Amino acid sequence: MSTTPATTDTTAAGGHLVDVEHLRKSFGDHEVLRDISFEIRSGSATCIIGPSGSGKTTILRSLNALEIPDSGVVRIGDLTVDFAGITPGRGGRLPRAQREQLAAYRAQSGMVFQSHNLFPHKTVLENVTEGPVIVQGENAAEAAGRARDLLDQVGLSAHVDKYPHQLSGGQQQRVGIARALALRPKLVLFDEPTSALDPELVGDVLGVMKDLAAQGWTMAIVTHELRFAQQVADQVLFIDGGVIVEQGDPRQVIGDPQHERTRTFLRRVMEPI
Amino acid sequence: MTLGLAAPAGAAPAGDVTTAVRQDGIPETLRVGTEGVYSPFSYHDSKGKLTGYDIELMDAVAAKLGVKVEYVETPWDAMFAALEADKFDIVANQVTRNDERAAKYDLSVPYIDTTGVVVVAEGNSTIKSLTDIKGKRAAENLTSNWSDVARDAGAEVVGMEGMTESIEALRQGRVDVVINDKLAISNYLATVKNPGVKIVTETKDVSQSVYAARKGSGYMDEINRTIVELKANGTEKRIYDKYFGAASSEASRWDLIRNNAWPLLVKMVTATIPLTAITFAIGLVAALGVALARMSSNPFVSFLGRAYISAIRGIPLLVLLFLIFFGLPQFGIKLSPWTAAIIGLSANVAGYAAETIRGAILSLPRGQWEAAQTIGMGYGTSLRRIILPQAARVAVPPLSNTLLSLLKDTSLVSTILVVEMFRQAQIAAAPTFEFFTMYALAALYYWVACTILSYFQGRTETRLNRYVTA
Repeated sequence: MSTTPATTDTTAAGGHLVDVEHLRKSFGDHEVLRDISFEIRSGSATCIIGPSGSGKTTILRSLNALEIPDSGVVRIGDLTVDFAGITPGRGGRLPRAQREQLAAYRAQSGMVFQSHNLFPHKTVLENVTEGPVIVQGENAAEAAGRARDLLDQVGLSAHVDKYPHQLSGGQQQRVGIARALALRPKLVLFDEPTSALDPELVGDVLGVMKDLAAQGWTMAIVTHELRFAQQVADQVLFIDGGVIVEQGDPRQVIGDPQHERTRTFLRRVMEPI
Repeated sequence: MTLGLAAPAGAAPAGDVTTAVRQDGIPETLRVGTEGVYSPFSYHDSKGKLTGYDIELMDAVAAKLGVKVEYVETPWDAMFAALEADKFDIVANQVTRNDERAAKYDLSVPYIDTTGVVVVAEGNSTIKSLTDIKGKRAAENLTSNWSDVARDAGAEVVGMEGMTESIEALRQGRVDVVINDKLAISNYLATVKNPGVKIVTETKDVSQSVYAARKGSGYMDEINRTIVELKANGTEKRIYDKYFGAASSEASRWDLIRNNAWPLLVKMVTATIPLTAITFAIGLVAALGVALARMSSNPFVSFLGRAYISAIRGIPLLVLLFLIFFGLPQFGIKLSPWTAAIIGLSANVAGYAAETIRGAILSLPRGQWEAAQTIGMGYGTSLRRIILPQAARVAVPPLSNTLLSLLKDTSLVSTILVVEMFRQAQIAAAPTFEFFTMYALAALYYWVACTILSYFQGRTETRLNRYVTA
């Protein structure tokens, strides 16, 4: 039971867990996000695809406040952040109230990184319990029990006391997923979770993600795995040049793209030579 | 040890006590600055007791005055700085009277007269008089009056730590001549086997040894009367004969090592090692603060961190120690030798270790900060739980270097009146002039201590590496 997602948010209008409106973000002179708006329904999986440098990772990181957009409004569950009001004070640090607001915002979602970013000095079990025990103040024994269940679900029950360096890349990434789920987020974010893996290890990780989608977790996934997107996604966003070029059902966006830019991208990915 | 200074921080340090003053202006406990390594005037006998001509005479003066006396052992080069910083009340260390000193300090009437002697290497036949040293190289202590005598005679003066080093330089042919006190040189020649140097002539000037106190001390008249009395009743003559009447008994080099191997080790364990441990601990904590300040996104805080590191790396440790111990009293801040030593050494460690820690933190992938952030950790928790444990692994080898340097650098605090192992070696060597034997023994001890520390460094690294190597 502990591995199922948090209950569907009742406050979400029209069954949307996430509403993103008019996100903009520049790095120096380079505008990476130009007016991005989309929604994510509760219990759905959204795949974000697009060429490298298109801004798709920046969108994902904005949902976790690892990047702070210049403007735009994001609602996750019952928490809304207007990024136009988030500005560093003197000394380059955000004012306390804004830091607290972002901390609450960040707590809505869990993050799985491309390079897993496990804590190398902690065991697999400690990696998973660190957030619940240290940040959320959960009883250590309870957290360990939940962590074992999660690790069992991702197929790692034999490795709980190992250190990350003793695992394969695919196993490490599955620990990363368990770590994100342990915090009971409403939304799980995946930033190219299989891009750094050897090809034969990709299947294990995608399999776990497919199971999570089936269990009803709300997920946003930046990926290049188009077959996975076709099978699992409820919604696909194709991003290019900082805008959403095309969005909708994967059968439509990947199976029958309407825009030339989408078609060009898909051709390159599917027939690289 | 009979001296308060010899004990670690727990004991009251002599240099700091300001005692009650009697009606005639003399402190009830007279604090006396003396070298403790200037045989036969002020040195430690084979049992470690401070003795010598100047010591016994001062004991007699104090007894006559009816006050207690407390000796504060101070290297000669720091003697007048320490007097001015109120580390003690009066200097009893063969201070030669001259006009400059008379203008600056309260000087007593002379208690002993001596002349200077010109000393050359045994085979030297070209220098026969003071006029022959014109253009030659003379080894002298720069703050002693003998360097003035040599300079006035036209010699080029080479600065030396003390008389023994000067004579060693003469024997090795690095310099041509040494001018020093006749009594001191005679005692040296009588004590050392095959000294390899000889006295060729005496200087014309009679030099008069006096006590020196800060201007306006108010009690020099009382002391002068006492000196005259002690000379008249034969007490001074009895002490003189004891130290200059016959050659001192001579201990062999091996006796010296045998007698001092244990006391030196004790000093290492009770002074050098605690000082190293305390200052390293304080220094590391401060270093973390400085490193975090330096990395702060606030430009002002970052500037402070940068400025601190720049200052510590730019100021020699010895100078820093002198500024803290002798400089701060001018602003009303008087610190005991141990306090000053701990502050100076800790501040030094903080400056160097800060850069090591900063480098170690920066060497970690940014993803570690981000992962900590995404599981809800703030800056402090991320640092404590995720970043520092990993940074420690990177920082241990360079920090071990800092620790070894620190252990050796503690020898510098001997100059601000802390009796640690190196100072103990000097004290032991003084009566026999076998400084180099004792320095070699001290070097051996430092080496052994560093080797032991290196062993623990290896073990720490293995422990911290357990999660990165299978």
